[in-house]
Amino acid sequence: MNFDLALLFFFSISILFNALFIVVGINSIYSIFLLVFLFALSTGLLLLLESEFMALIFVIIYIGAISVLFLFVILMLDLKNHNSFKKFYDYMPSINLLVLIFLFSFFVIIFDSFAKNYYINNFLFNFNTNWFYKIECMTDLNALGQILYTHYVVEFLILGMILLLAVIGAVSLTFNGNKKNSIFTQKTFRQVSR
Amino acid sequence: MYYAYVNFDDYFLYEEPFNIFDFEDISLIFPEIFFGMSILILIIHGVLLSSNIKYPLIQTSFIYLSILVLFLVFILVYNTTIMFDVVFFNNTIIIDELSVYSKLIILIASIICFLSIIKYIEHLKINNIEYVILILFAIFGLILLCSANDLLISYLSIELQSLSFYLLTAFNRNSIFSTESGLKYFILGALSSSLFLFGSSIVYGVTGTTNFEDYRDFFWSYNEILFFSKNNFSNLLNFGFLLITFSIFFKLALAPFHIWSPDIYEGALSSSTIFFAIIPKLSLFCLFIRIFLSNLCDFVDYWRYYFVIISLLSILVGSFVGLEQRKLKSLIAYSSISHMGYTLLAYSSGTNFGIQSLFCYLIIYILSGICLWSIFLMVKFKHNFNNKNNKDISDFILFNKTNALASLVFSTVILSLAGFPPFIGFYVKLNVFLSVIESSMYFVAILGILCSVISTFFYIRIIKILYFESGVVGNLYNSISYIFSFILSVCFFFLIFLFIDPDFIDLLTLNMSVFDFL
Repeated sequence: MNFDLALLFFFSISILFNALFIVVGINSIYSIFLLVFLFALSTGLLLLLESEFMALIFVIIYIGAISVLFLFVILMLDLKNHNSFKKFYDYMPSINLLVLIFLFSFFVIIFDSFAKNYYINNFLFNFNTNWFYKIECMTDLNALGQILYTHYVVEFLILGMILLLAVIGAVSLTFNGNKKNSIFTQKTFRQVSR
Repeated sequence: MYYAYVNFDDYFLYEEPFNIFDFEDISLIFPEIFFGMSILILIIHGVLLSSNIKYPLIQTSFIYLSILVLFLVFILVYNTTIMFDVVFFNNTIIIDELSVYSKLIILIASIICFLSIIKYIEHLKINNIEYVILILFAIFGLILLCSANDLLISYLSIELQSLSFYLLTAFNRNSIFSTESGLKYFILGALSSSLFLFGSSIVYGVTGTTNFEDYRDFFWSYNEILFFSKNNFSNLLNFGFLLITFSIFFKLALAPFHIWSPDIYEGALSSSTIFFAIIPKLSLFCLFIRIFLSNLCDFVDYWRYYFVIISLLSILVGSFVGLEQRKLKSLIAYSSISHMGYTLLAYSSGTNFGIQSLFCYLIIYILSGICLWSIFLMVKFKHNFNNKNNKDISDFILFNKTNALASLVFSTVILSLAGFPPFIGFYVKLNVFLSVIESSMYFVAILGILCSVISTFFYIRIIKILYFESGVVGNLYNSISYIFSFILSVCFFFLIFLFIDPDFIDLLTLNMSVFDFL
């Protein structure tokens, strides 16, 4: 087993355990910190797969923006610790059994499918490395841009529409009109003279 | 692992030349381009006018503008002449008979829905232009979904329509029911979207492509399936497609995935409910047909029994739980669940005639849904609560005495939904059972017919309340406007005329169902 494979297993197994602890954790602050840790681990996984751009995006957006936003929201809300395992036992016979059957069949299929690599002793398996590709290569960002703006231009435009829709929706759900006495408006004089 | 390497600067990533700038072809997707751009222009128009100092109310004029846009898109779609199937943008968008006709139907239905919500919106004083823009975004997503030929495009367009539907559900933020149902819809819809993404990632992992046409080439003959079964990948592939199926069933509100729909129909504004009760079903079935019948037709035997079970379950749930409902909205929700069950039954026959009867059923579902919901929106009590959204069935006691003609149309629509002979509902239901019997699923057909008889009970109860109830106290209703009477009379005409002469609907659905599968 080489070093890459060991790192791969380390990252994936720790991501799985982190995800489990996020869901079953009692304190929600701990869950958020575990979420940050999970994103850091998946950054490592992506770096191992040689997609540097996505890894950096994970650090900047997921850790820098989303998890911190979650942290702020949870600190603002007055949440009480609750044990989610109580409900687990309440729903046990009906819902969780179905979910467990689903999970079981999924794992059976997964372990069945990836038990053996059929090409590894075949003549189709390629042991050689094309050194030419190793020398002359594009950066990750360049390749993504070349594909994104040509072959996936429709997807790109629809994504823009979805983001516009999200902005419009957020404004329409929270914008309170121009009411002067609303509780959400700033009262500058009161704030300054406080 | 994917490496994107290039050898030289002038060498592109793929050898295939990129020919989207072929103008004769691109004229076929002018409707989408026009629609998208006009939505953006409408946003600018609305923002400039409504943030004026004097704040004029532009809601009604804005709805008329969007109807104009939809009408122009309708003309653009109508003028597309199709010689053969055309694909665009790296095979991700396809224009054929199925997509063009379903777009036309969706556009007509949404124009009529817009016409019927004008008075309601004025009455409830919803003076935000965003409301109309959200509906337009939803229709744009549905139109894109009709011509999606790729898992990525279909995911994005489903997301576009469902995101705007979540917002439409939660739009009335002063009402606790509206926000609750919006949040519920958002969480459950996000779950189903994640199931779709999980399934497509598994399918992409096995096949290496997200394109439907590539799937058709890939699974064309049975030998490939044998090859896959030797490598044990067929189980994984089935699992991926099963997850995609869950997600689409969820959006269609079929039986084990239906629990969100009555709550959300109840909680949302009626003017939003009319949209997500009527319009999205057709384009979701388009996607469903494209994935499973057009491109994975070798796998039909894998899916068929599962689909039949799901459809029978939803027919049972729709007809038995509908008996208990006292609110008109949730009653319509359960009836729509059972109708989706009948359409899926027609679909699971897997024949060409089955697909034809599916589209017949869906078109008639849309027609009668428009009629039913516009009556629901139109009925306005003379006195009491201005903001009463939900009507009990017993609110209609005096409806016959105040407006005899409208109550006649109402009872006609309900009889047509139940499947009584002199109306078109009987004909399409007959087609569905005929297609099921032709593919020799006799037991299923008998169960479906029995459940249809049971569901007739709650339809007839509404008619009993309309005509034969001797209530002492009741509500009085305002008179209906010109537009409503126009819509109602056209729907009433079609409900009877199409039964006498069903050639029009037959030919239309024949055009939609004949595409190159099987």
